[in-house]
Amino acid sequence: MNRRFSASLVALLASGISLSGCTDTTAKGPVNLSKGVPVGAVLALTGNANVYGQDQKTGIELALKALNSAGGVNGQPIALSLEDSGSDEPSANAAFNLQINRGVLALIGPTLSQQAFSADPIAQRRGVPVVAPSNTAKGIPQIGHFISRVSAQSSVIAPLSIAQALKLNPGLRRAAVFYAQDDAYSTAETVIFQKALTDKGLKPVTVQRTQLNDQDFQNQITAALNQQPDLVVLSLQAVDGGNMIRQLRELGYKGPIVVGNGMNTPNIYPICQRYCDGILIAQAYSPELATPTNQRFLAAFAATQARNPTASRIPPQLTAQAYTAMQVIGEALQRLDRKHPLKTLPLAQARKALMDEILSGTYQTPLGEIRFTPEGEVIQKNFYVAKVRMNPDGKTGRFTLLP
Amino acid sequence: METGLLVQMLLGALLGLSVYLPLRCGQLSLATPGFYAIGGTVAALLSTRVPALGSGDAFYPIASVLLEMALAALLTGVLALGLGRVVLRLRGIYLAIATIALVEILRVVTLNLEFTGGALGIFGIPQPFSGPEGYVGLTLILLAVVCWLCDRLEKTRPGRAMAAIRDDELAAASQGINTADTKLLAFVLSALVAGVTGVVAAHFLNSWNAKLGNFDASITTLAFVVFGGSRTWLGPVFGGLLLTALPELLRPVGDLRLIVFGAVILVGPLFFPQGLITPQLFQTLWRRMERSAVPRPQEGRP
Repeated sequence: MNRRFSASLVALLASGISLSGCTDTTAKGPVNLSKGVPVGAVLALTGNANVYGQDQKTGIELALKALNSAGGVNGQPIALSLEDSGSDEPSANAAFNLQINRGVLALIGPTLSQQAFSADPIAQRRGVPVVAPSNTAKGIPQIGHFISRVSAQSSVIAPLSIAQALKLNPGLRRAAVFYAQDDAYSTAETVIFQKALTDKGLKPVTVQRTQLNDQDFQNQITAALNQQPDLVVLSLQAVDGGNMIRQLRELGYKGPIVVGNGMNTPNIYPICQRYCDGILIAQAYSPELATPTNQRFLAAFAATQARNPTASRIPPQLTAQAYTAMQVIGEALQRLDRKHPLKTLPLAQARKALMDEILSGTYQTPLGEIRFTPEGEVIQKNFYVAKVRMNPDGKTGRFTLLP
Repeated sequence: METGLLVQMLLGALLGLSVYLPLRCGQLSLATPGFYAIGGTVAALLSTRVPALGSGDAFYPIASVLLEMALAALLTGVLALGLGRVVLRLRGIYLAIATIALVEILRVVTLNLEFTGGALGIFGIPQPFSGPEGYVGLTLILLAVVCWLCDRLEKTRPGRAMAAIRDDELAAASQGINTADTKLLAFVLSALVAGVTGVVAAHFLNSWNAKLGNFDASITTLAFVVFGGSRTWLGPVFGGLLLTALPELLRPVGDLRLIVFGAVILVGPLFFPQGLITPQLFQTLWRRMERSAVPRPQEGRP
């Protein structure tokens, strides 16, 4: 072996070992409260899921402001660190590791279910509570004891919008289903939609597959329209779904459109514009809920939109759920701190005790009253169906709840 | 430095080497993510579906991981052997297109097969180590072995034959080099490295799905080699380490981090068209070091 090679290899190994030696093992030490009570959030602020992350960021920041202005955790403010998880798994893992090494007591995130399957086991192994604000796939709380969610799973919500479409239009007979075959959320939700349709005697006349990054759906739409559907059901994310709706309408489809949770954000308005009008979406959040918590949330949200006159004053579901996740962690921290002051607990023990507090509590949130099953699945009372109403300018609109 | 990131960087270096091996013969193959996905899927399937391998234990046995690596190597090796015979008849951009097609076919097949979990993929992959530190050891050993192999290649007959093909395939053939077999050897080696890397990655990422071996990954891994340099094995290693780490190291920059990352990828090849690490760079470095270590003979004269 020559000199150059051995020199390079030694350098490589040495740097590897020295770098891995710098790993942080602070979990045995006390909770670092110097900057406040550390809580982390990992959201998709870049990549194709960024439209969701932006909504969630707003919700978390509003809840943080509300908690800290009411005294934080019994006098100590909550210090939130927010990291971008991109829209892929390796970035979500990296962000989770980074946050856990910083010594956070609990994590909010990640945005996508697919990221959760990859990143949540890290938190589970290291004993860090995770409250997921938007994972709707089956099996998330089952990853482990430390994983919980405030987002009801799609098997609960998705069938409601189909029922509503039938209520509005009992004559529907021929449903066309679209989903992105390379996306975990879409493939999981379409199964639920198709089952709900079959249960209602509306077996799909066609099922069309698309790709998450597709822009042009003419082939699938033409094939579907040949079957003369009178109902279209979409399990697509915001960007591809928005384009799909626009192209469906442009190619002459006039019937009702039911969409899944992936399009449950006002960020679809700029994509499908006036064509968004009339689509049906099941909701886990109602802005009309007349509880004090929701009124405070509504007022705080409207204040953030005050600078932008065209923006909607109505918070989207993702924002409400993210707010709820932060609120759950905040209130659990307050209860924990009253029982065992945080500064007396080692970090690992504080995380474990916090998880028990999160699961045992009942919370008055913008989503209404929520609790958790021992597994970490959310128990929520009310769900709704909304219809998108676009304003005449075709750029702004709102989700109006249907009775 | 965060240990999990270090593992990602080492995996990036291994993938860079996998792209570099066919490039040694001047073959632009973008099939690396395809073989990487096969390795990952093999590991994910075996470790979650075959209880005999030890998925029920507190820690998944290392021996089972090694067995998965062997099987992944076998599978990718055989596939590369069969495919290579056909696709290596193509050159340049045509070979690149054919290998992109391979990556796409594998991705769509994985998405539509029941047993690979469709788009959701396979999750709950058991862990052989309690934390990322174990993975650092495993990937470091793997990287060292592959680096050693690549270094030997630069000095032995098949490796020199590869370099000859890269410089001029016709001239190499007229000197009696079996160009078809040599190119095939490089292609198979590349597939083996990618397949084995996929096995480690599947365990490290806890879950595996078709998105991890898509066309984007082809471009990313190619960027490792273009950025680091394709003339010596240290180039792709350096490129893989740096380009995987950069988006994470740039986190303090905030919202601008991906813009800065893009600018770095753009500026690298502009100023270093051969890549950052070239044999000339080494020669210059060694000459400088030798000059400073040994006093010049003139200096001793009166």
